[in-house]
Formats: sequence, C-alpha cells, structure tokens
Amino acid sequence: MTPSEDMSGMSADETLAPSSADEALAPLSADEALAMDFALGALDRAERRAADLRLRSDPAFRAMVDDWTARLAPIDGETADVAPPAEIWAAISAEITPSLRPDPAPVAKQSLWQSLTLWRGVSFAGVAAALVAVAQVNPPAPPPVPGAPPQLLVAALAGADGKPLLSAAYDPLRGAVVLTPATQRQDEGKSAELWVIEGKNPPRSLGVIDIKDPNKHVITSDQLRGLESGATLAISIEPYGGSPTGQPTGPVVATGTLRAV
Amino acid sequence: MSPPSPGAAELSALLARAADGDRQAFGIFYQRTSAKLFGIILRILIERTEAEDVLQEVYVTIWRKAAEFDPARASPVTWTATIARNRAIDRLRARGSRPSAPLEEAAEVRDTSPGADVLIDTDREAARLNAALAHLEPRHAAAIRSCYFEGITYETLAAREGVPVGTLKSWVRRGLMRLKTDLSALPEGHSA
Repeated sequence: MTPSEDMSGMSADETLAPSSADEALAPLSADEALAMDFALGALDRAERRAADLRLRSDPAFRAMVDDWTARLAPIDGETADVAPPAEIWAAISAEITPSLRPDPAPVAKQSLWQSLTLWRGVSFAGVAAALVAVAQVNPPAPPPVPGAPPQLLVAALAGADGKPLLSAAYDPLRGAVVLTPATQRQDEGKSAELWVIEGKNPPRSLGVIDIKDPNKHVITSDQLRGLESGATLAISIEPYGGSPTGQPTGPVVATGTLRAV
Repeated sequence: MSPPSPGAAELSALLARAADGDRQAFGIFYQRTSAKLFGIILRILIERTEAEDVLQEVYVTIWRKAAEFDPARASPVTWTATIARNRAIDRLRARGSRPSAPLEEAAEVRDTSPGADVLIDTDREAARLNAALAHLEPRHAAAIRSCYFEGITYETLAAREGVPVGTLKSWVRRGLMRLKTDLSALPEGHSA
C-alpha cells in the first residue's frame, strides 16, 4: 500500500474540493484514481489497455484494483438476472471439450435446441444418461421446395471438439447412404452405432457401423425412407454388437445435420 | 475477507473441479451463475446477440482460468462477474458507441430476485453498499451507478449529462472515496 492510498481517516469532502478538475484531487494518489477508474469501468479503450498491462506486471496496483473491484461488486446484486438461451451452454460445452468424453448438459429451462431436448428425452425415459457431445448448434433447415426433385443430403459428423469423424451423403433417389471416414478411431471391444433423429422423435438406429470402413455395413433403404434435410445424424459408442436397448446407451461421439446440397 | 457463505464455498469447489477438467462440475457452475452474468453483460451491451456472444466467451475464459481462481482473494461470484464486466466493457469500447440510456435508469432498484442461494452473501453485501451509496450526494451516486452498470466512460457520461468531464470525474471520485470511508466504518454484513 502506498502512503497516499490510505485516506480512510480523512473525509473525502475535506480532501477533494467540490466542482473541480483533476488537480484538486491531488490527495488521491494517481494509482488509486486509476485503480478506481478501472474497477468502475470508466476508462477509455487506450487507458484500459494500459491499465490492464499494469495489472499484469504490478502486484501493488493489482491489489488496489482488486480492493476496488471487491468494494463495488455488490452493486451487481441490483442487476436483474436474465436466463440466457439454452444453446449458449451447448456452444460453450463444445468449445471446452478436450476429448470425446460424454458431456452431461445442464438442464435447460427452455430448449430451442432440438437435439438437446431429444437426448434429454432419452435420459428421462431412463434408457440412457443424456450424453450430448454435439459440436455445433445448427439453425433449422429451410423447408424443402414443393415439387422439387429430392436433393442429395450431406452431413459432416463431428465431435464436440469440432473434429470431423465421418461424413455422410444420402441420395434419396438411390436410397443409399455413403459414409466417408474423416479420421481413425479405435474403440476396442465396442461398436459404433449410427442414429438418426428426426424432429421430436426418439433416436432411431441405422445400425452398427465400422468407422474405419463404414460402407461395409449396408443401411437398408427402408431405414432411410423419409430422411429429410434438417435431420440429425449421431454416432454413439455402444457395447459390442450395438445398443442392447434400441436407444443410445453410450457416449455420443459425433453429430451432424443433414443438409441439402 | 469475510468467511465465505455456503453458496460461495460450493461455487469455489465447483471451480476447483472445473480446473481439474471436470466439465460436469462446470456445467453446474454455469447453471448457478449464468443468469447473473448474462444480466450484467446485457446491461452493458444492450444488444442481445452481442451479449450472448460475450457470455459464451466469458465462460470459456472462466473454464480456462479456473485454476487461477483464488478463494482467498475474491469470492467466486465477484471473480466471475469481474471477468464478465471486463469482457463486456472491452466489447463496448471496441464498438465505440452504445444505445443510450438515461442516467435515471441506472438508479433503478432490482426488479427480480436472483433465485440461487449462492447470492445471499452478495445480497447482504449489496445492502451494505446500498446503505453507503445512499449517504452520497444523489448525483454522485447516480454517476457511479451509471458508470458501473453501463460500463461507459467518463467522457460519454459527461456528454450525456451536459457537464464538463472534470466535474463528472470529481463527482465520481469524491463519491467513491466517501464510499470507501463509509464502508470501512459500517459493520461487516455477515460478521455476526
């Protein structure tokens, strides 16, 4: 603490002349004035940047700023809470995911995020824990143009870290899905299972796939009927041979939304 | 520093777990604190999409810096709120202007109560600070609130209020020094 910082014994009105400019504030040390201004948030851009540099290099200054911050922080109690939209957590979660660990999402007050609701639905059904590791929040797909020929649909399936795992292309005319591995992934003794989530329906299995050679497994055209742009594809890691329950039970390692191209 | 409330202790524990890479703990931390932080950011930025953007940045920052959090130096609520305010103010400065709000608006009292018990501690501190602010000359207190809640510069507020910058700075600084004196005289909110 600098000698001039401690003014607690003096009345501010005695030390600071009324209606005056900076020079009248002389008893207030320049450092403490700066710490005050910074904590209050009143500095302009260049001043803030300079003060920020000092914060990092000058522990005494930092202590002053911390003091003022702590002193003022309770005013935040006057600011009304505002619940952020549910998709913010999804975006944060995707950004902080270092691995393919399952990611339990916090219960959202209102979910605008379809797939999140769905996976939670799975959890509530007691079938599986909500293992959402979705990389991106996708805006809803535009409605298909009536009468237009069915378009090729593609989806990039990526993990929560944004790393692509697989790409999927679906040709409605041929009734076939072509899966292309984007990376190698080994899950010894486990099976990767492909799911499709359409609207508010529970995930529907498209069968077990081999991520290294995904087209070894043929998805029947029956399974693909009705696939539309906007449907979500997801891959979960299941016990060998696939989910024993018909719903995802293991971590979801990649998701992607089908889009018309 | 006063002993942490049970809520603050829980938040500190969640941050410590987050520092170890526990995303579930961080998810709970987010649930407990995000409405408060979003309120603070929104009040500074007004523009919702931008505020959402900043909120996301703030939590990613909190996640990355969780190991730096020191419960002996700051309460977890203050620590996170400070990150949120600083990030929002930086964004505001980068933008250069903001939708303007009158001075009076900043003096409004809270119209909704935070649901989480973790804020009880903060509420008590807020009552103490409010008592100290109430002792100040009203225009000094109003200027302090405007700067704090809106994150605006002295220059911006002075222009809006039609007073010289020097006068406004003097209001704020005299107010703050008086506040410091009064706060050190007032009993601690939860020492009893």
